[in-house]
Amino acid sequence: MISRRKIAITVTGLVLAGAALAGCSGGSGGGGDGGETTGTLNFYTDKAAWKPDFESLNETSSADVDIDLKTTGYSDANQYDAFIKQSFRTSKSPGLFTWHTGQSLKELVDEGLIAETTDIWKKAIDEGWVSEDLAKGYTFDDKQYCVPMNIAYWIMFYNKAAFADNDVEVPTTWDELNTAAETLKDAGVTPYYQTSTLFTFQWFQHLVASTDPDLYEGLTTGDVKYTDPEIVDVMNLWLDEQKDGWFSDPGSTTDPAVALKQGDFAMINFGTFFAGNLAGAGMSTDDYGMFAIPAVNGDLEKTPVAVESGPICVAESSSQKDLGLAYSEWWMSDGAQTAWNAAHGDVAFNPKAEVADPALAELGSEIAGDDYQLYDRFFEAMPTEIVTTAIEQFGAFNANPGDPMPFLEKIQATADKYWAEQE
Amino acid sequence: MAHQKTPYQWSARGFIAPGVLLIAVLLYLPLLWTVYLSFTDYNGLGSPDWIGLDNYVEMFTDGDFLTSALNTVLWVVGTLIIPVGIGLAVALLTWNLGGGLWLRLPFLIPYALSGIGVGVVWSFILSSGGALDQALAVFGILDPPRWLLDAPLNTVVMIIAAAWQGVGVNALLFTIGLQAIPKEPLEAARIDGANGIRLFTSILWPMLRPLTAVVVGLSIVASLKTFDIVWGMTKGGPGTVSETLALTMYKETFVNSDYGLGSAIAVFLTVITLVASVTYLRQQLSPKKEF
Repeated sequence: MISRRKIAITVTGLVLAGAALAGCSGGSGGGGDGGETTGTLNFYTDKAAWKPDFESLNETSSADVDIDLKTTGYSDANQYDAFIKQSFRTSKSPGLFTWHTGQSLKELVDEGLIAETTDIWKKAIDEGWVSEDLAKGYTFDDKQYCVPMNIAYWIMFYNKAAFADNDVEVPTTWDELNTAAETLKDAGVTPYYQTSTLFTFQWFQHLVASTDPDLYEGLTTGDVKYTDPEIVDVMNLWLDEQKDGWFSDPGSTTDPAVALKQGDFAMINFGTFFAGNLAGAGMSTDDYGMFAIPAVNGDLEKTPVAVESGPICVAESSSQKDLGLAYSEWWMSDGAQTAWNAAHGDVAFNPKAEVADPALAELGSEIAGDDYQLYDRFFEAMPTEIVTTAIEQFGAFNANPGDPMPFLEKIQATADKYWAEQE
Repeated sequence: MAHQKTPYQWSARGFIAPGVLLIAVLLYLPLLWTVYLSFTDYNGLGSPDWIGLDNYVEMFTDGDFLTSALNTVLWVVGTLIIPVGIGLAVALLTWNLGGGLWLRLPFLIPYALSGIGVGVVWSFILSSGGALDQALAVFGILDPPRWLLDAPLNTVVMIIAAAWQGVGVNALLFTIGLQAIPKEPLEAARIDGANGIRLFTSILWPMLRPLTAVVVGLSIVASLKTFDIVWGMTKGGPGTVSETLALTMYKETFVNSDYGLGSAIAVFLTVITLVASVTYLRQQLSPKKEF
């Protein structure tokens, strides 16, 4: 009797504990459809603020392909990345999720975690929905993975009143840009925005890429070192501008959109999505303008413009793989992109889509023309470890501008370690 | 002779089994997994590759790790001096006063906030052109220090921000300790003429010792794992000058996806925290011989 009782009690306890743990690890993923191509698709994104924009497309997607999104938004990008990586270990890997191009995407593709989208890209290119150039960032071993969620060009926004008050015209050459900065500084207006955290890389990326695109390309492959004389020269150019007082206080926490509006600085180098921030701060295109930043090297045939493209991906092991791929195909279409642009703004990767904002439409058409050459934004073009160290060191440089070598040596130390591991 | 388990003992084992299993799965397994990862190269995908002590060698030879370790030491010392010291002062000044509770209450309210919230609020105060700079400008100070941009000033002001949050709970704990002191020795000391500093050093401080040990022990552990307030205010920057060990661990693990190096830092931090707290508490709380 005693033996049975003790066994029963022990087993009951273990079963209860097991049930509790199973409850933790299980849960209803919802929407597991085993090959269905219509229904509700679970979508995960680190762009929590865009959730209303994504879900506003449900009306259009339901009508077109009978799919609607159930969106889960994360506001912490690092937490989101860890969640997505861990999800591949379970049967609940996402049917659709946003990710990053560059090394981060390559990591997932190398592990066979991402569903191939070669057929979708082929159709999209044939339909004229997307340029072949854009496919490069999504191509690994001649196959495509994921589709573009968006693109953004990294250009210059400026305060029209600050320009008009000081008789500054929109610059079309590097010399004109420098003259504009001098004029504004002399008038007591700080020319450029800068910060000490996160978005510290954009001026470096422009100075390098528009001095010599091959130099920038060399940094992405490790063929060029951050301590090479050409890079040091670029940093010294930046240092001269710092000494001239052309940049805003890097310690300010004022929202940059608000700061541009109130004239804390006259220009800010940011992605075209920043137009949405400016609208949120109460600015319209009557108040701000945009221009592609002129190249440092006037001899370049085309002006380099940084482009950022974020992907939407489907997990290879997801129970909603077919549903996710069906949505991805629809997402590339001009109908979907017109609806997305109306909901979210920004420029469009699909040239047939209608861009709601006339100013962005004009800028997008101009940059898509023959006078400009697109290159990948620093964030996606460089390996993650190098980006982390670089944005820290550029932030430190902004806070305490001085001899660039110590900053560059730290970045190169990380680069040396990274490239050695790749050999 | 083999010891026979009674039915009661078997029942007890059955009832605690779920709890033991949960502790094993949720605490011990992750700890062992972290120790294992610290000897591997792992990016969160696929399988970890065993690389022996490489992560530890890299950690100890990295100049930024030394900066993080020194900043963490600064946090330990700073949070002992400021929040614990001021907490004790607040408790001593208010415990015997009528309405002392109302004097202590304002110090306690910030404790209800999250560390990241405190960081965001204080970054508005201390950022360039922020509330403090604007207030100083009223008094004619137009070129104030760069509170969050220059090291070690940024770590010092972040410790002050943490003190703003932590003083109240320390004051509360010290007040509980003061209220638990028997009245007889206090009255005897007063009759003997002890007052003020003499009363504190000869009676109150020795009798507060067990509670002081706990407060200081908790403070050491909390300061060694300082993360949220720094993340909210400077993100460890500019560059890495205000990073703490916990922040470096987070950055390597979740920003760089270097789970191996992040785990090595986590193991180091855990060992340091355990050694510091156990050593301190053993020393302070072990029974002392009377003669």
